[in-house]
Amino acid sequence: MWLPLLGLIVGILLGLLTDIRIPEEYSNYLSIAVLAALDTLFGGIRAHLQNIYDEKVFVSGFFFNILLAASLAFLGVHLGVDLYLAAVFAFGVRLFQNIAVIRRILLTKWSKSKEKLEKN
Amino acid sequence: MKMIKVKGKHVVLSLVCLVLGFMIAFSYHFTQKELNKKNTNLTSEQWEKTIDLRNQLIELEELNRKLQKELNQKQDKVLANEKDLSKEAVVYSTLAEDAEKYRMFLGKVKVKGQGVSVQLSDGAYDPEEENINNYLVHEHHVFKVINELYISGAAAIAINGQRLTSHSYIICNGPVITVDGIQHPAPFVITAIGDPDVLAAALNLTGGVKDQLVNDNIVFTLEEKSEIVLNPILGQS
Repeated sequence: MWLPLLGLIVGILLGLLTDIRIPEEYSNYLSIAVLAALDTLFGGIRAHLQNIYDEKVFVSGFFFNILLAASLAFLGVHLGVDLYLAAVFAFGVRLFQNIAVIRRILLTKWSKSKEKLEKN
Repeated sequence: MKMIKVKGKHVVLSLVCLVLGFMIAFSYHFTQKELNKKNTNLTSEQWEKTIDLRNQLIELEELNRKLQKELNQKQDKVLANEKDLSKEAVVYSTLAEDAEKYRMFLGKVKVKGQGVSVQLSDGAYDPEEENINNYLVHEHHVFKVINELYISGAAAIAINGQRLTSHSYIICNGPVITVDGIQHPAPFVITAIGDPDVLAAALNLTGGVKDQLVNDNIVFTLEEKSEIVLNPILGQS
């Protein structure tokens, strides 16, 4: 239980402490990758709540989506089309949907438990 | 078995979390940095302030330049003054040299150098000669020697150790001669500072001073000396 949290903290610390300079034109890729990671994370949470969570799907989706988003942005830059906008759009929409679904599931769970408490 | 499975799951999850955390933190960090960088771009207020400061800077620089020019002018002046001063110094040093020379001529300072010494003695008593004046040293003999010495470039002359100056006087006073009010008996030793060769040659000219003096029955002794010291005249302004 504590291991994932520990990993998160270590990751954040690493990210804040490293002083790697990356060129400005690559910052787009980074933000896209972050977006993809977040999307996958919320997708995973939703799947978990819906009891269709598969670890392999989650992990592979996490890394694959990051790479895909970054490479899409890369391709867009080289083709002269702002393809990263497509990625932002797609991930953004999915993010909102996922969060909405999570919210609804949590709401229903919460109301159910309340009813149970009232019955008891 | 279940334990291991759970652990593996957690490890994978923690890896995912690590990557996520790293990416988010890094991105955040990076964006903050860029924001900081962009903040160096100016808002209008800052812009105005910058312009204000820049104007101040320009003013100061102009002032600086003006002052620098002034400084340069002043330095030129100083240089000119220094040149003048050095010229004056040269003048002064020549003046000082002149003063030294004149003092020497006036007999105010002790002088030392090569020179000659001439001794004039009265001739031996000659009973055939009726007039004693014919074998005494007279002041005109001394004059002749002194004038000859001065003409041939003597820098300082003394009679019996008394310096002659530009306004010295020599008078005949019976058996003695008076130099500047001091009486001197014969023999007279005239010491002169100058080139000894030249002085001696001048005195020894055929038909010159020496011959004339010898004709007047005067014992004339000439000596070249490598060092003569003439003392200054004391007690006189």
